[in-house]
Amino acid sequence: MATPNCLRCLLVRPSVAARLPAARQMITAAAPFSTTANSRAAGGPQQGKGKKAPKPPVKGKQMNLSAFKKKRDVDKSKPPLPGERKAYRKRILLSNNNALPVPGLQDVNAESMLQTSNSGKVLSLPDAVVDQLRAVEAFKPTQCWGVFRKPSMLVRAETVELMQKMQKAADSQQALRLVVTGDRITGKSMLLLQAMTHAYLNDWVVINVPEAQELTTACTEYAPIPNNPTQYMQQNYVLKMIQAIRKANEKLFSRLTTVHQHPDLPQHVPVSSPLLQLANSAKEADGAWAVFHALWQELTTKGYGRPPILFALDGVAHIMKMSDYRSPAFEQIHSFDLALVRLFADCLGGNVQLPNGGAVLASTSRNNSPRTPSLELALLQREAEQNKTEVPKKDPFFRGYDERVDAVLKSVQVLRLDRVSKAEARAVMEYWAASGVLRATVDEATVSEKWTLGGNGVLGEMERAALLTMRL
Amino acid sequence: MVFILGVNFHEQKLVKKALEKFYALGPQTSARILAKYCIHPRAKMGTLPPKTVTALTAELSTMTIENDAKRIVQDNIKRLRDMGTYRGRRHAMGLPVRGQQTRNQIATARKLNKVERRG
Repeated sequence: MATPNCLRCLLVRPSVAARLPAARQMITAAAPFSTTANSRAAGGPQQGKGKKAPKPPVKGKQMNLSAFKKKRDVDKSKPPLPGERKAYRKRILLSNNNALPVPGLQDVNAESMLQTSNSGKVLSLPDAVVDQLRAVEAFKPTQCWGVFRKPSMLVRAETVELMQKMQKAADSQQALRLVVTGDRITGKSMLLLQAMTHAYLNDWVVINVPEAQELTTACTEYAPIPNNPTQYMQQNYVLKMIQAIRKANEKLFSRLTTVHQHPDLPQHVPVSSPLLQLANSAKEADGAWAVFHALWQELTTKGYGRPPILFALDGVAHIMKMSDYRSPAFEQIHSFDLALVRLFADCLGGNVQLPNGGAVLASTSRNNSPRTPSLELALLQREAEQNKTEVPKKDPFFRGYDERVDAVLKSVQVLRLDRVSKAEARAVMEYWAASGVLRATVDEATVSEKWTLGGNGVLGEMERAALLTMRL
Repeated sequence: MVFILGVNFHEQKLVKKALEKFYALGPQTSARILAKYCIHPRAKMGTLPPKTVTALTAELSTMTIENDAKRIVQDNIKRLRDMGTYRGRRHAMGLPVRGQQTRNQIATARKLNKVERRG
């Protein structure tokens, strides 16, 4: 049977508490581990016979509605404006004043990436080129430029090889058509950046598509080209691109003049006006494709002091498949039916020549890239042909190959970007140490350790192992 | 603010979602309409040129949507009731039509199964 009084009530003896002196009572009241209610322990109304003691507030049983209400943390701060979060996510920091300036760091110049003696050296980018590269979005937010004082890069053996090929092609007025491939974070985008640097230093015109997925994942406006309804232009993207090209090549464009009539343009651009004026005539998205077309026609005219062209694209797998766009008849549009992608594919496949020479570089990406069996197979085949080993064959029972892609990749060169050597690893680690980012003595053992931790010299993994950046 | 078929949409609203606001216009149809006018799926109302907006209004005005579509549903129910079918009677009584138990949980039937059906 349950007791009528609760057991704890028996412990409270107000008569005992009343007999204690006042000082003692205060101690009891302040005791941290008392199980007795303070009001009861103080002795209630018996305390202090002469004076009138303040009555403890009598509280009846009240319904506390707030106990059932959820406490809401109302955030009074303003939410970020549209696009602000993305801008923060995609911001590119290229220098850090807290990093130490590296003594003896040389700027890269027009020839330095062609010389084999510079292989395995860290060179920095001149400020003018940094602005140009920034304009064409050659820097990626995932690369850790913001840790160092000045944007610098490691010139690798592959860099020298590629630059020599590019220069040779430009000298012989040919187009180098090459796909850069390799494992994750081995520096493929970085190699493209080096190619663009070389191009800018040698006064080439650079057309860069920083992320091919922006063109094919149906996130930018498209419309059929008026006189060619089977192809689609992406006017807004092209407008942005023309502005980037104009900004990066302003000096060059003010020197070159037009030699053709362009009747389709939104503004009349007379013959022998500077290319800058032609590029400036793209103000609205509506006429952007026509302007780009005219610009391309002018740049690929033979002679007239036209410079070589570098056409670069990162994340090539995205353009080697059906795009996410739909035609008015609700059929999927192949990426090659998007005019800008078609132009790149034609250049890569050799259907469109670059009469003043240049290079068409594509780079695969290992982040968020779709599976494209044709591209994967073609790269393996071309690589085997280059190495004179056995060429892998198509799977006869697989239907996922794409003939249009096969045709484009029939004759490209492949450059596989592999791990860095220990000498190159040492050079880059010495640069880190000199910048004050790597706080260790760079000797044989440290280099070996980081080289091994970084998957036997995968440059990005070495960065993670040594710099502990937030790049995860 | 952009007007399509007399309805006002915010500029930040996706065109696809705006189209799906109309009764009897679902994801399939809206995707097809977008493709027909070469609007990419992530386009917002604010980015549409005025020409496309009028074209969309013209397109929607030829379709059986909103009240026309609702009336078809109501007519079908009325026909069932007038024939005196079981389904018609159950609609008139606001009870489940397709053999469900009526012991509890028939809120949806109470809400929707009416001769003058709302949605």
